[in-house]
Amino acid sequence: MSLLEVRDLHVWFELGHGRELHAVQGVDLTLDQGERVGLVGESGCGKTTTILAVMGLLPPNASVAGEVLFDGENILRRGEETVAAYRWKDLAMVFQGAMNALNPVKTVGWQLREPMQLHGVASGARADARARELLGLVGLPASAADRYPHEFSGGMRQRATIAMALACDPKVLLADEPTTALDVMVQAQILQLLVELTERLGLTLLLVTHDLPVVAQLCQRAAVMYAGTLAEAGPIDQLYHQPRHPYTRLLFAATPDIYGEDDVQWIRGAPPRLDRPIPGCPFQPRCDRAFAPCPTERPPLRVVGPAHRAACHLNDLDSEVQPSAGAGSRA
Amino acid sequence: MRRSDYLIKRTGFALATIFVAITLNFFLFRVLPGSAVTNIAHVPHASLQLQEALKHQFGLDQPIWVQYLRYLQQLAHGNLGVSWADQQPVRTHLATDLANTVPMLTLGTVVAIVAGIATGVVAAWRRGRAADYGHTGVALLFYSFPTQWLGLMLLILLASYLPAGGMSDPFLIGAGFWQRVADTTRHMLLPSLTVALTLYGGYALIVRSSMLETLGEDYVLTARAKGLPAKAVVRRHALRNAMLPTVTLIALSLGSIVGGFILVEVVFSWPGIGRATYEAVVQRDYPMLQGTFLVLTVSVVVFNLLADLLYFRLDPRVSE
Amino acid sequence: MSAVLPETGLGAEGEVGPRPSRVGFMRRLFRERPSALVGGALLLLFLLVALLSKWIEPYPIDAQVGPVFGPPSASHWFGLDDSGYDMTSLLIEGTKVSLIVGLAATLVSMVIGGGVGIAAGYFGGGVDTALMRVTDYFLVIPDIPLMIVLAALFGSSLFNIVLVIGIILWTGTARVIRAQVKSVRQRVYVDRAASLGAGHLRLIVRHILPQVAPLLIANTVLTVAVAIFDETALSFLGLGDPTKVTWGSIIEHAFDRSAISVGAWWTLVPAGLCVSVLTIACYLLGQAIEDALNPRLKVAHLSARGFRLRPLVGAGRRAL
Repeated sequence: MSLLEVRDLHVWFELGHGRELHAVQGVDLTLDQGERVGLVGESGCGKTTTILAVMGLLPPNASVAGEVLFDGENILRRGEETVAAYRWKDLAMVFQGAMNALNPVKTVGWQLREPMQLHGVASGARADARARELLGLVGLPASAADRYPHEFSGGMRQRATIAMALACDPKVLLADEPTTALDVMVQAQILQLLVELTERLGLTLLLVTHDLPVVAQLCQRAAVMYAGTLAEAGPIDQLYHQPRHPYTRLLFAATPDIYGEDDVQWIRGAPPRLDRPIPGCPFQPRCDRAFAPCPTERPPLRVVGPAHRAACHLNDLDSEVQPSAGAGSRA
Repeated sequence: MRRSDYLIKRTGFALATIFVAITLNFFLFRVLPGSAVTNIAHVPHASLQLQEALKHQFGLDQPIWVQYLRYLQQLAHGNLGVSWADQQPVRTHLATDLANTVPMLTLGTVVAIVAGIATGVVAAWRRGRAADYGHTGVALLFYSFPTQWLGLMLLILLASYLPAGGMSDPFLIGAGFWQRVADTTRHMLLPSLTVALTLYGGYALIVRSSMLETLGEDYVLTARAKGLPAKAVVRRHALRNAMLPTVTLIALSLGSIVGGFILVEVVFSWPGIGRATYEAVVQRDYPMLQGTFLVLTVSVVVFNLLADLLYFRLDPRVSE
Repeated sequence: MSAVLPETGLGAEGEVGPRPSRVGFMRRLFRERPSALVGGALLLLFLLVALLSKWIEPYPIDAQVGPVFGPPSASHWFGLDDSGYDMTSLLIEGTKVSLIVGLAATLVSMVIGGGVGIAAGYFGGGVDTALMRVTDYFLVIPDIPLMIVLAALFGSSLFNIVLVIGIILWTGTARVIRAQVKSVRQRVYVDRAASLGAGHLRLIVRHILPQVAPLLIANTVLTVAVAIFDETALSFLGLGDPTKVTWGSIIEHAFDRSAISVGAWWTLVPAGLCVSVLTIACYLLGQAIEDALNPRLKVAHLSARGFRLRPLVGAGRRAL
């Protein structure tokens, strides 16, 4: 049984005047213990919303449908009520620490101790000691516990948020763009840290990012999202070498910028609006392989290989339709 | 090290502002239309001889900067001149007046701050719902009422239950200490209430705005993600941070507090420094007017400095 | 992570606002924010009354047309004051003069404050520091006492009152404008390389002013309310123009001439309500404009109401 399973997750946002944004449209994910899985896609594709929904961290104008199964239990069963019990102890999140994820008026140590005391993991001197241990684990000096967030650089703050996420020994770590807004050298260090931690502590990692080299480096499997839906999901090397969705192919075949900083920008066009129902394949307007059924029929998510699924009508044609991707090749 | 620099800088600024106010005080009263003698010595239609004598006596025949230095010198000795109304030292009047104003004003302001914060937080928490509209509407209403008008309205409504003016009952003779305290307190209720109602509206709006801003910050989401119950998130994370801009804005409102209580004291004949200002204006008692202006300005500057210090304590990011 | 709403291509706007078409902006403002509509409509109503005052005043404002302190009746909607003057006419006249004072004083403060703010923000460096130092002093020195002193010293003609209020109010505008100019200036300089030889004035007028104008307008609207409040305060303290009728002078007369003790509430209540309604209208409109210019993109991460669950109807997309 998978440790974490997301089944048919939908998220809507109310936009006022009766309008609604269908931000996540039926996403399925599974994570087994000890796996590192990536969730990739361009800005606005719904990947952040998805992982926020997993922990029930949605704003008041959101509504959710579907299931999130942790160890077989649907933690979204009664919404905030049920999911709150799993926060930080079982599922923890690493936000983009370089920005404002840390409270500016409390010391780092205090913020690490807070969840420990809340969930009864440790208190008093024991909590303090444990906090300093965790800081050491992520490569920060123990004295950092007495400092305020603004006294740290972006990279150090990111490490601190990772330490904070580990405070209650969670089983699953959800990381939302943990290395964006950091410079390349620091990025590499943080990624290395994440690999070490997941291996050493047996953590399961769900990594959300738009940065493909990062996913390639870190994850064994990945899911590609586009316009709120899953385009493709499977082992990393399959996504690279045998993509079964034009979007994936275009995404992964991009020549990586040497600094790994650029979002893939050269797919012409823009993602569709999500406040209106889309009749066919959402990628169709930008697709270089679109054909007859694409504008009118939604392609279902189909198994196309071992642990490999894709949602594209091209897979219905029983032939070798996707040329293997070489760097820079575009059909 | 950088933080102590901030303290020094703010204190320096406060002192500089006081100095500017003192200088303003001096020059404003020297550039009056009309004869300086008439204005300073308060002896209209004096004969030429008398004018010359008075000029000399008051040092008005000296160059202006000499007069200025003399003024500063006198100020340094605590000499604020003599009231033209009753020939008593201005300093003595001011001391009594200030002592009368402080309790009334403190009561009103404290109530306003507490009510304002409570209202603002509730309105932000229930944003977009009936409670929000209700609280915000009422706050806006009280914020919009002219202070003196509100005082008069309260007077009309509550005159039968509470004393209509003054600080004490003139017929209370030979009363014990507690009786007098009770009497003063009864007299204080209406003016303090007016001050409180006038101020709380503005504070509620500020706090609401601040809280809404704070509730959208990432660290609030982090706190929620940690499994903190909503109330704890608000109390421990949101409120503390929302208070920072609130302190700043309250400090900026000190000027209007002063305006407010001057009007209140006039409406209720409360013998404080606000009413003293008013009477000084009515009687054209310039030494008193100068004195009250100075006291009011210095008070505001000092409180501004205190607010700066409070902000400094609350926000670890402050440095220069 | 801060925007939970993904970008949707719904015309999300850039950081320092692109140049919205003037008409488009106005239309959007009024359509999306009913508060702007209400505020604007009320202000328009007051303006109309002021403009048409000469024709709609039912009685002359300085002639006795009925019994002293006559109550409201069919022929005198708002009753009569202590001299038998018709209150309705007085209120209409008061609307006109109060608005004149409010608008004129705001104009003064806007010109000075806008000028200082633009100069400080645009030129930066020493000019900025010097101007801001002066502004800071004036910000701290309490408004109303300074106004009282100035008004007491320089006389109470309408002209003087307008100047006095304007001189006090410019500081708030200056700060706001300076901040905006600073943020705009960076862009303008990058866009229009100064190497093109565009003179400062041209740059300011053609490029900075249009960007700053909307915020200036919002600030102006809010300042009008404060100016009118200040005028009522000055009038109440006897420093208003005795020959003119304003809302403030009506309130002052009600206080001064024992209208309260006689129970003639109609001489007091409407004038205060006018000020109140006007202040609320200004606040609604000004706040709506400010909000439209700086839309709060952040959604509250926390609120009394949480996210909702929906039962799944219709087939989900499952892997085959």
